[in-house]
Amino acid sequence: MASEKKEGAAAAVGSFFKAIGTFFSDFGTAFARGDAFVKLSALWMGAGYARRKQYVKAVIMTVLEIAVIAFTLQFAMQYVPKFGTLGTVKMEKVFNMETMKSDFNDYDNSFQILLFSLFSFVVWATAIVVWMKNIVNAYRLQQLEEAGKHINTFKEDLHSYIEEKFHITLLTLPVLGVVIFTAIPILLLIFVAFTNYDQQHMPPSELFTWTGFSNFLSLFGGGGLTVTFSYAFVRVLGWTLVWAFFATFTTYIGGILLSLLLNSKNTRLPKMWRTLFIVTIAVPQFVSLLLVRNFFSNGGIVNTICANIGLTGFLRDIGLVSTSYIPFLSAPGWAHVMIILINIWIGVPYQMLIATGVLMNLPADQLESARVDGASKFQIFRKITMPYLLFVTGPALVTDFVKNINNFNVIYLLTQDVYVTTNQAMANSQAKEVDLLVTWLFRLTQEYYNYKMASAIGIIVFIICALFTLVAFNRMIKGDREGTYQ
Amino acid sequence: MKLKKVLAVALAAATVASSAMCVQAEETISLTLWGAEEDQALLGELVENFKAAFPDQTFDIQIGVESESTAKDTVLTDVEAAADVFAFADDQLSDLVNAGALASLDEVGAALQVAGRTLDDVKSENDEGSVAATMIGDTMYAFPMTGGNTFFLYYDSSIISAEDAASWDTLLAAADGSGKKVGMTLASGWYNASFFYGAGFTTGLNEDQTTSIDWNGTSEAGYTGVDVVKAMLNIAGNSSFMAIADGDISNQLASGGLCAAVSGDWDASAAQSIFGDNYAATKLPTFTIGEDQVQQAPPYGYKFVGVNAYSENAGWAVVLADFLTNEESQATRFAQRGLAPTNLNVQASDEVQANVAIAAAASESEFGVLQRVGGKYWDPSQTFGEMIAQGTLKADDDAAIQEALDSLVEGVTAAVG
Repeated sequence: MASEKKEGAAAAVGSFFKAIGTFFSDFGTAFARGDAFVKLSALWMGAGYARRKQYVKAVIMTVLEIAVIAFTLQFAMQYVPKFGTLGTVKMEKVFNMETMKSDFNDYDNSFQILLFSLFSFVVWATAIVVWMKNIVNAYRLQQLEEAGKHINTFKEDLHSYIEEKFHITLLTLPVLGVVIFTAIPILLLIFVAFTNYDQQHMPPSELFTWTGFSNFLSLFGGGGLTVTFSYAFVRVLGWTLVWAFFATFTTYIGGILLSLLLNSKNTRLPKMWRTLFIVTIAVPQFVSLLLVRNFFSNGGIVNTICANIGLTGFLRDIGLVSTSYIPFLSAPGWAHVMIILINIWIGVPYQMLIATGVLMNLPADQLESARVDGASKFQIFRKITMPYLLFVTGPALVTDFVKNINNFNVIYLLTQDVYVTTNQAMANSQAKEVDLLVTWLFRLTQEYYNYKMASAIGIIVFIICALFTLVAFNRMIKGDREGTYQ
Repeated sequence: MKLKKVLAVALAAATVASSAMCVQAEETISLTLWGAEEDQALLGELVENFKAAFPDQTFDIQIGVESESTAKDTVLTDVEAAADVFAFADDQLSDLVNAGALASLDEVGAALQVAGRTLDDVKSENDEGSVAATMIGDTMYAFPMTGGNTFFLYYDSSIISAEDAASWDTLLAAADGSGKKVGMTLASGWYNASFFYGAGFTTGLNEDQTTSIDWNGTSEAGYTGVDVVKAMLNIAGNSSFMAIADGDISNQLASGGLCAAVSGDWDASAAQSIFGDNYAATKLPTFTIGEDQVQQAPPYGYKFVGVNAYSENAGWAVVLADFLTNEESQATRFAQRGLAPTNLNVQASDEVQANVAIAAAASESEFGVLQRVGGKYWDPSQTFGEMIAQGTLKADDDAAIQEALDSLVEGVTAAVG
């Protein structure tokens, strides 16, 4: 079963490339075998349609072609030719007393060049696909005509978009959204990682340029970014993984146990309890996190109480604490544990909701037959409930883990302005023991404008998350598991 | 054919629109102004005064909220879209200038002749320290707005006498009997630098934006960095001393456990309400190195109003920035917001002289230090302060102290980027 599935995965990748191949070969055939009008379509995109009397489409394609050419001449040509250098003209200005304004030269803005070039590339890539598709379509129309078959009118074509081609209508907007809001920013991030965009090279006053792999070299070659970069990187990465593991599994198991408890027949007023737990969700996370941070800060209310009841003194006597307060959120170890505990409090209600939903759909027949066979409650939990839960919520568990790798809110809100590292090597890298890669990245960029390194780290984080997701999903969603619960 | 017509009409429309905009620009000057949330009402009033001062010119001035402490971050996110005129704290000056975000006043300052003033007027009206703080090299980049951005000692005069407040030794001894503590923030490169500056150590900003720091050596006054750290450890280790996290002083004051605290004018009302009639403020105390009493020397900061280098109406922006910081506006600012003026005439006024907190801050202007450091300074110096606060370093372990100072210097002086 498993090997079959793997072949399936390989086949999926194969068929993807095959589809691309087919697309190109279709285009080749169309262009080679098409008549004069199909060939003319390569220059005038409306030609093929006009010949087959699809005038509306011919006009649309012509307008589209003009738009792309206009876009290229009017917009893209300002930026793309400078893409290789990212600009060479630095800003200069002279103040003009007559007009009370500054006169600027026609300076280059490296960031605009990068962004708008990238945008142009995306537009052109789309245009090329449309252009090729257009020739393929023109050839298809030619074939239809030669075979004496019916050629759709524009109205009929339009109609097809709410009938057999409805999926295209549905998907257009989301695909556009993905390209504009996800693909372009990610590509931009990748490009920035290969430049020297930092505090010394901030547009519009300064230019930045391509530097090849030097950012990645200094990331792993050591010493480039900060004095003790590789020292800090390893520790931050380590805590990121430890955190993601504990944050995911503690809330997951906690949520399941809590929902089992609430679903138990012996629990009174289950609805009230459930509502109480959900109130934690209703309060915005950053409010509760900042409040908790203040409770547990060095001079916070919890510390005052602990000092008053003598707990602080006791911990000092046994040597657990060396300060006059309990460093709940301000010493390594203490802070690590506290963060995970506080995260349980915040994360468990969500998992409880999910688990409750799944538990309500437990296959009753299986439970019934297990009970008839004399299985104990624990056996039922271990052999039926838990595997079923794992099966249903497995994919969510993987996404949770990835989400926790990038769980900015909890870490940043709980430790910012409270946690001060006493490890000088960490401090010299602007890192703290409680930093995740993403919070460290945030500080490096936000406080030090180090966009190039942030992008490089961003790419590494992306690779880690992508690899983990791929491996985990492959293992979790093996086909043979499904059969067990059908 | 049809397309051509459409194009022609569109072009004509665009031409009309753009020429209309040109004409309008000659009539109305549009400016954006960013200031702190608490200053909004004040700025609204000052802008009205500004408009009244130039009745021949129509203005469209938009006022936005941007804290002086975060102005740099917002401005540098997109300089071309940032406000024409904005207020910021002096520690951001070098980053802003380095990023080319501030207009050089030597260049655009000529616009002040519209108001019948010159840049030299500005320089002579404000106190010397504040003017020096607006300059990088010989170029002036901003107008001084407020001074006294520093910290000093608040104390409860029923527990601590004015003589006790003069040195850390007597201060802590006086607090010892009362059951209350003396609070100060150590885990911040802004606060803990005052011990080093006092002993003659320096920090500085190099051309390439790296920071220079000499704390691991010997100062001009002949003290070593190790001496200073030992003195700090002696203070931090005293049972009457309380190290307080950065920004937490007002909470600690309010909780009533402090009889004295090192903080700035932003905590004046918190201190006044808790100490009541015994509210007092004075310069920072001296601390002991060997036989000597050394005056703690805090960073002495200012807040400025700067003009965006990419401003469309740079000339009028300069005139507005000057107006917002002239004598009259500074007097209004002090009256409404209680912020220390930099204008000499306003400083000399009776109202300003009577304000305890501002007087304490002003008394430090003679030994206060203009702290110019790069971005890499803050994290290592914060950690160093925390090590002293938590007692990670021991006063009898000279080698460890020297090692920690060396790491501090290594981190602070690291290359940028």
